[in-house]
Amino acid sequence: MFRWMLACAFIGASLNVQALDDPWLALQKTAFAARELNYQGVFVYQNGNQARSVQITHMNNAGRELTRNVVLDGQPREVFSEGSDIVIFNAKNNKVVIEKRRGQNLFPAMLPTNLDVLKNSYTAKLGMVERIAGRDAQIIDLVPNDGYRYFIKVWSDVEFGLLVKMSLMDRQGQVLEQIGFTQLSMLNTHDLNWFQPKIDLTKQYVMEEETTVNHVTTNWVVANLPPGYRKIDHIEHIVPGKSTVVNQVIFSDGIASVSMFIEPIKKGDRPKMGHKVLGSTNICANVVEGYQVIVVGEVPAQTVQQIAKAVSFSKQTQTTANK
Amino acid sequence: MKEQLSALMDGEFNTSNADHLLIVAKSDGELRRAWNAYHMIGDVMRGEHAFHCDMTSRIMDAIDNEPTVLAPAAAQATEAKLKQSLFKKTAFWSVAASVTAVMFVGLMLLQQQKSEQNLLSPVEIAENLPSEYLTAHQTYAPNGAAYYIQNVSYTEQR
Repeated sequence: MFRWMLACAFIGASLNVQALDDPWLALQKTAFAARELNYQGVFVYQNGNQARSVQITHMNNAGRELTRNVVLDGQPREVFSEGSDIVIFNAKNNKVVIEKRRGQNLFPAMLPTNLDVLKNSYTAKLGMVERIAGRDAQIIDLVPNDGYRYFIKVWSDVEFGLLVKMSLMDRQGQVLEQIGFTQLSMLNTHDLNWFQPKIDLTKQYVMEEETTVNHVTTNWVVANLPPGYRKIDHIEHIVPGKSTVVNQVIFSDGIASVSMFIEPIKKGDRPKMGHKVLGSTNICANVVEGYQVIVVGEVPAQTVQQIAKAVSFSKQTQTTANK
Repeated sequence: MKEQLSALMDGEFNTSNADHLLIVAKSDGELRRAWNAYHMIGDVMRGEHAFHCDMTSRIMDAIDNEPTVLAPAAAQATEAKLKQSLFKKTAFWSVAASVTAVMFVGLMLLQQQKSEQNLLSPVEIAENLPSEYLTAHQTYAPNGAAYYIQNVSYTEQR
């Protein structure tokens, strides 16, 4: 009996050591902690020359994930999420537009829960412990295996495993995009009073008029997708009263995502070609077989350029699901 | 509920009714349609136009309003980069001996196609691409960070 207990203790200890030593296990803990813990705080998001402070409250109420994000700078904006349903209250002049969205990995739940998809594209490494928002945080580096994605640095709270900061860096180590808590506390309450928008009685509340969005499978084929990227969605934006349909194909390597927009070039339109950078976002425009192709993503320039140039079209479009 | 919605539309609601906004926003069926209908009626009665979030027209307007910069040098640079990246790919694929032949032919064809396109299409570089593309990317892609500053670049202009 004593031997058995000793064996158990030994296994337990070795598991514990493994958890500390294996960066992928640390990342796994980080991915779950953001979704399972109850917390409140303020974080700052920076991309290029833009920055925003956001107040967040997150609660996991018996498996039901509720989040309220209040943007503190610039135009008033509140983002509510319940599971994968997102409702946004977006102040625009004298109106507040209510927008509905689905399924985004909102901060701090930036890491996918299934990390296997990342293992071919990134190498995980444990770094030092740094102090972020008054808490000790373990640095975990996601080093890209090629030039098609950025270097990702994750700071994970030593005590709770919560992602407290994340940076995207280019090959030269320059920070392009950063998001991190400046203040953070854990919540002990199950009170849901906070889960409601602040109403401005002087404003008119309107629903966003949605453009029809269809999920489709078409034969827009990217012959030579950058390694590690795969198509995760394809949607058509159909605007009532307009003949133009804009196609959006979304690719991801598990954490970085790229959108490819395709629309016919009408007579009199000047086709766009070229490249633009906005912080971590690269945009590439190209013309393929009479279509305007625009590729946008939080990825290095070569990734959007390769996708924009390798796309080709074969006719036959199938609409599989309507929303 | 519909009566409450109606009151909401007429501005006769207090903050304790705030939950309704969320419920309405989250619902898909009857209530949602009712909301839209009431809202439209309200707008028409007040002589206002319905609020439009018309992405394509915005994109088209924005494209029309964008200055078009003629920059052949940049286009040449793009072409040079294309050739460079294709060369890299060729080098990469040559490692896999069994597929080299097939891929090489494929790449040759691709390269030919692309250079034809570059010759045929007008050389126009869009320095200021409309932010609608960025917004749509941030809205529908699964990456959530940029969500908070979404449409910052153009809200100030509106």
